[in-house]
Amino acid sequence: MNANPLIDSVAASVGLTDITKRFGDTSAVTALSLQLAAGSFTALLGPSGCGKSTTLAMLAGLLSPDEGDITLDGTSMLRIAVEKRPVSLVFQKPLLFPHLDVAQNVGFGLRMRGFAARDITVKVQSMLERVQLGGLGARRVGELSGGQEQRVALARALILAPRLLLLDEPFSQLDAELRAEMRALVRTLHNETQTTTLFVTHDQIEAVEVADQIVLMLDGRLAGKGSPELFYQSPPTLQAARFFGVTNEICGSVCSGIFSTPFGFARPTAAADGDAVLVVRPEALRLSDCAAPDSLPGKIVAARFAGTYLALEMTTVAGLLVAHVAADTPAQIGGSVHVRVPVDASTVFRTDSA
Amino acid sequence: MTTVDAERQSRGLRRLSLRQPLLALIIAALLLPLVPLLAWAVSERWRYPALFPQKLSTRGLRIITDPRSQVLPGLLTSVVIGISVAVAATLIGLPAGRAIGVYRFRGRRLVQFLLLSPVIVPGLAVTLGIQVFFIRYGLAGTTLGVVLVQLLPTVPYAATVLGAAFANLDLDYERQARALGAGPMRTLLFVTIPLLRPALILTGLFCFLISWSEYILTLLVGTGQVQTLPLLLFAAIGSSDTTAAAALGVLVVLPPLILVALSGRLLRGQSGATIGLGRL
Amino acid sequence: MRIALLLSPAAVVIGVFFVGGVAQGVAQSFGYQPFLPGYHWSVDAYGEILADPAVRGSLLITLRVSLLSTVIAAVLGVGSALAIRGLRRGRGWVSGLFQVNLAVPHLVGALCMLLLLGQSGFLSRLFYSAGLADSPATFVQLTGDRFGWGIIAEYAWKETPFVGIIALAALSRGVTDLENAARVLGATRWRRLRRVTLPLLAPPVAASSVLVFAFAAGSYEVPYLLGRPYPATLPVVALQDYRNIDLSVRPQAMALAVVITLLTTLLALTYLALAKRLAGRPV
Repeated sequence: MNANPLIDSVAASVGLTDITKRFGDTSAVTALSLQLAAGSFTALLGPSGCGKSTTLAMLAGLLSPDEGDITLDGTSMLRIAVEKRPVSLVFQKPLLFPHLDVAQNVGFGLRMRGFAARDITVKVQSMLERVQLGGLGARRVGELSGGQEQRVALARALILAPRLLLLDEPFSQLDAELRAEMRALVRTLHNETQTTTLFVTHDQIEAVEVADQIVLMLDGRLAGKGSPELFYQSPPTLQAARFFGVTNEICGSVCSGIFSTPFGFARPTAAADGDAVLVVRPEALRLSDCAAPDSLPGKIVAARFAGTYLALEMTTVAGLLVAHVAADTPAQIGGSVHVRVPVDASTVFRTDSA
Repeated sequence: MTTVDAERQSRGLRRLSLRQPLLALIIAALLLPLVPLLAWAVSERWRYPALFPQKLSTRGLRIITDPRSQVLPGLLTSVVIGISVAVAATLIGLPAGRAIGVYRFRGRRLVQFLLLSPVIVPGLAVTLGIQVFFIRYGLAGTTLGVVLVQLLPTVPYAATVLGAAFANLDLDYERQARALGAGPMRTLLFVTIPLLRPALILTGLFCFLISWSEYILTLLVGTGQVQTLPLLLFAAIGSSDTTAAAALGVLVVLPPLILVALSGRLLRGQSGATIGLGRL
Repeated sequence: MRIALLLSPAAVVIGVFFVGGVAQGVAQSFGYQPFLPGYHWSVDAYGEILADPAVRGSLLITLRVSLLSTVIAAVLGVGSALAIRGLRRGRGWVSGLFQVNLAVPHLVGALCMLLLLGQSGFLSRLFYSAGLADSPATFVQLTGDRFGWGIIAEYAWKETPFVGIIALAALSRGVTDLENAARVLGATRWRRLRRVTLPLLAPPVAASSVLVFAFAAGSYEVPYLLGRPYPATLPVVALQDYRNIDLSVRPQAMALAVVITLLTTLLALTYLALAKRLAGRPV
């Protein structure tokens, strides 16, 4: 870690072992254990207040965990002060220093490390071009748009060639179109630099779009880890499923490997015996005119046009189910329909261990 | 035009016509006392009951700039003491301001009040008691002693203004600087202080002005050996040379006026003096 | 703790100088003589000053001058702030003038008042031109007078802009919004003034008035120059006694200083107590 970071900068693997952080008598993060492979792009996902920003602060060194260890390539970082860690952090607000211009902002970290002024100028110039702000070095901070500010903040963090890059919901203040642009920029930069990146967000759509791997945090604990596809197709827990937009739940119980409901709907499952719930995504439901072994009869009670799809609410014996179908599907309020619940698109969870 | 508009317009006009003379009155009242001061400073002879000086001259200016008079050394002393007090009070008030502006600790209100106590209790009362201290440690009659005693009225203001500034400071800037590799000292130097620049200028200015105008504390601790401009002015007022007193008065009033005018421009967007004064 | 460390330089200044000074003053008023061996503690000094009619006269003029100046500064300050705030262009100029006035040292202000209000001063000459007076002696005595008008004039001139600036700042900080809300609800101009504007201005104006009073009661140079040797305000008498070669008078000087301290501190505490009580009162 004493090597010149710009030459020897190798993305590091990151490990959190049993991290706990308390504020007063509430625990913000509890027994969090996580491994990030070198060069990976992970999204840390969760609702507000679930402890993701606290985790980031501990990785950066702004907070110390009460218990547990944080390692970089196997070596503990706990004793290393913030300013000495090879970790870069981009906050939610761009936090550009208003008394410095763009170039001075971007070069701030290099100046702190004692680089020669000439080197700094060259590096700043090339970094600004990489974030598509070439030529704006002399601008004052107050003259930038929101998107430009965040690009400068990104440039300022990346120019230090960190071994771990932390992004704390950096685009939440931007409008939808800008956010998409910035996500693409971050991905491009990641592909070029292969820096281990941890991207915090509360928006699961953003997480799915930008990351290779998603880590879900709920209430300060790890609630699931895997690829985006995994979270959609087989969510690790009921909470994770609910967070990812699963709205259809069919209650029943499991007995000897069979999930069954009072109204006759049944299918095999690997879940253990006990009360259980079957969840299925709205997009996975299929509508048909005739009954099938995996379908339930229902009646359409509401239809809502949502741009790219049609959201249909139907009452069935299993309760209210919501299906997202093609926007041009003919649907009549009050009409009868059979709702098919495909086996491979649904998951069964025990309700007493959700 | 509807009747409502017409009525409002006529009411507005009436208010306007009442306002103009009122305004003129306020401006006149503010400026009037300074007129005889200026007039006397440039007059050679101005006997009762003439409304205008009978004979103008530069005698006042000559008195001030005469190297044999004590005015120029007094000016130097006042400037040196003023700058020293401004710097010292700001340096002392900076950490105190951080303590009360950033942290929400138990007893904060009490500390704020205690910090302001030297402003409530008149300096004369305190200094009569404390002169003993200065004599005992050989500080009486020294410039250092005067600088130290002038910390009494200035440190409370410094701490209060900087406390307000710290309360408005976004601490995330400091965290970001740390995350970019700046240690605590360099964060203070390169980020915190530049961000606080307007408040620091205001504080320094305020403390300089308080020191520049200070009479009784300088008299008591300086025991007449430290001659600042206010001491000279006081003596001149007691003399029969009105021109000399007026000229000295103009000299004493000029630097504060210039400094306030300059800083007013600097702090245009930040409700300048009100930050310091309104913060109670 | 870190907070204690941050506060320590300021705490040293205030602890050593301020608390030390007050403590020394109190001790010396009870007879403690740091340089004279063979002193003894007593309350004689207080007995003497309380019995002295001159001291009572000084207390009277001090209170009179301070209270009147404070009231005048508060009323005129608020009044001018209300008059100015509606302006669009002139406002910057006038509040600039206010700030300029604040920069004028009180010593210079005293000189200005002498030159303006003295018996052969500028105002007197204006009266002469208007035929209202025919010699310096016939012009009303405003400086060196028994009542203290010259002193009050100087304080009023310097402190009105002080209160005015504070009132202006308060008015620009949302008081106008509340006034508009009251207006929409049907309050007339006078009602708005009474029920919205003035109550909202009261806290900052009251706080600054406490400062004005504290300053007026404790100031030396202004009452010395603009007042009479007798009755002089408490600070003037205190310094006089202090400089007396007869050191046995020293405790009386200190006792007077303690009285001044008690005066201003009591007022500040009363203000704080009232402010806390009024803050919870329904409008």
